[in-house]
Amino acid sequence: MAPLRAGRWLVALPMAALAAATVYPLVFTANVAMKTRHEYVLDRFSPAEALRWDAFATAWGSADMGRYLANSLIVVAGSVALLLLFGSMAGFALSQLRFRGSRVLFLGCLAALFIPFQVIMVPLARTMGQAGLVDTYPGLILAYTAQFLPFTVFLMTSYYSGIPGEITDAARIDGNSTYGVYARIMLPLGRPALLSVGILDALFCWNDVLIALLLMPSPEHRTLMTGVTALRGQYSADIPTFAGGVLIAAVPVLLLYLFFQRQIASGVTAGSTKG
Amino acid sequence: MPIGTPPTSVRPAAAGPAGETARAAAPRTVRGPRRGNLRFPRAERLAPYVLVAPAVLVIAGLRLYPLALGVNFSFTGDGDRNGQNVGWDNYRTLFGDPLFAEAMRNTGLLVLLLPVAVAIPGLLATFIYLRVPGHRLYRSVYFFPAVLSPVIIGAIFNLLLAYDGPANALLGAVGLGPVDWLGDPDVAIYAVVGVHVWATFGMALVVFLAGFATLDTSLIDAARVDGASLPLVIRHVIVPGLARTIQFVVVTTMIGMLTSMFGLLYVMTGGGPEGSTYLPEYYIWFQQGQMSRPALASAASTVLFVVMLAVGLAQLAILRRSGRED
Repeated sequence: MAPLRAGRWLVALPMAALAAATVYPLVFTANVAMKTRHEYVLDRFSPAEALRWDAFATAWGSADMGRYLANSLIVVAGSVALLLLFGSMAGFALSQLRFRGSRVLFLGCLAALFIPFQVIMVPLARTMGQAGLVDTYPGLILAYTAQFLPFTVFLMTSYYSGIPGEITDAARIDGNSTYGVYARIMLPLGRPALLSVGILDALFCWNDVLIALLLMPSPEHRTLMTGVTALRGQYSADIPTFAGGVLIAAVPVLLLYLFFQRQIASGVTAGSTKG
Repeated sequence: MPIGTPPTSVRPAAAGPAGETARAAAPRTVRGPRRGNLRFPRAERLAPYVLVAPAVLVIAGLRLYPLALGVNFSFTGDGDRNGQNVGWDNYRTLFGDPLFAEAMRNTGLLVLLLPVAVAIPGLLATFIYLRVPGHRLYRSVYFFPAVLSPVIIGAIFNLLLAYDGPANALLGAVGLGPVDWLGDPDVAIYAVVGVHVWATFGMALVVFLAGFATLDTSLIDAARVDGASLPLVIRHVIVPGLARTIQFVVVTTMIGMLTSMFGLLYVMTGGGPEGSTYLPEYYIWFQQGQMSRPALASAASTVLFVVMLAVGLAQLAILRRSGRED
């Protein structure tokens, strides 16, 4: 189709400015993290005199970011593994198998998609407390799994609906049980969707702070994001170290974005074009 | 069923292993679906239920059940009256609490700002779709804050919006006085919402672009050949063509505004100054954790849920009606 001709640049300029405004906050923060405290107090805008990594080292060491990172990795890995397993099993069954009650179960999952965590957090915290799961890894992993499972089931179901039923029939005829069809055919076929949903789920779990604050209150169990919220109090007078800590927490996500931008975008848009 | 009808079968029945499979399978398919069920071992018949069981149990136990539990819980007392039925007392307390009133006022403000939060990414997506110079770059750049945690974004904007930070330096350069972005009760909520929009418009933008990909380009070309201006094309070709996408973005943006600003509030303002940036979700958190009033918090949760249902249904109704007019 014909691109805009007149006024193309008139539009492009504000858009370029907006792009700059999107990137600038991160650049500013990185620059601050490279400065010494003295430099920062004198002039916070000028480029840092040298590439200094002290702030990152201090944040990593004395603010315990290493431990928070490990906590986050454990919880995110556990949650994503459970989400993909449960999500693909349910998605396969709901889209490819005909059984009584499948429609009701699918609608139930869909309804759960519209229950925000804030609405159930009080009773959930109480139930978790009674079960002795507060401040434990399994507790937080279970909470994340419950939180993002409706979304995962929904996406996996819609992905598997696109796979012709003849494939399941053919695999059955070749002597596979239903479980065999799932493990040997559907899991490998679902790889693109599993990757896309898995990355999104990992982002959701990684970025969450409310659920982690509620269910992992003790300092040694802090996830990285909870750790970042605590940084401000710890380093209110040492802004470069604060900035360094914030960036450490941002880097894994930025890397994920660089490598998997397309998968992230396709996961985000999956619900908008189907259903 | 190709296997049951050998003459038209794609594979010659005699040839190699494929033929063996077809022969072995033939009796099974001939029997028909009804009797097939009886032939299946019990394990096979239960398989679908076994496959959905983990997901269903987790969702039912940790999402649907707590919802019912919470509604129930909101009619019991806190502290001394723990577990007793107190009727509508919590709701009375709630609607008498100026802090909750502030939270609801701010919710109303968010609903009013919703069109802006949808129009900005919509317009930007239109320009990217029309290939302004640099459109490829904009798409990736605009989207990236959407993947960052609200906590990180809030922390970064704490630096940017500091009284002597870059935002005020920029204002100073054009001769405007410094603004106490996060300290002025009249300004703070707009600052936080602004940061939220900055952080999430890329999400809606990507959804819009996916919608554009399904749009019939010949319609736009035809309109432009006929001399229609860009605003006219947007009004009469793009908006009707994207009705489904717009509906999706409106609903997800609304849910995002009502339920994913906790991280920003927690890091940037803590609900202050003077409670001016309270939202229902922050109020729930505050009553549950800080004030140890879980039953009151449950009442607030129930109100939030009802508000979300009402807003969602109202939006759907409005969108459906405006869709019919076109």
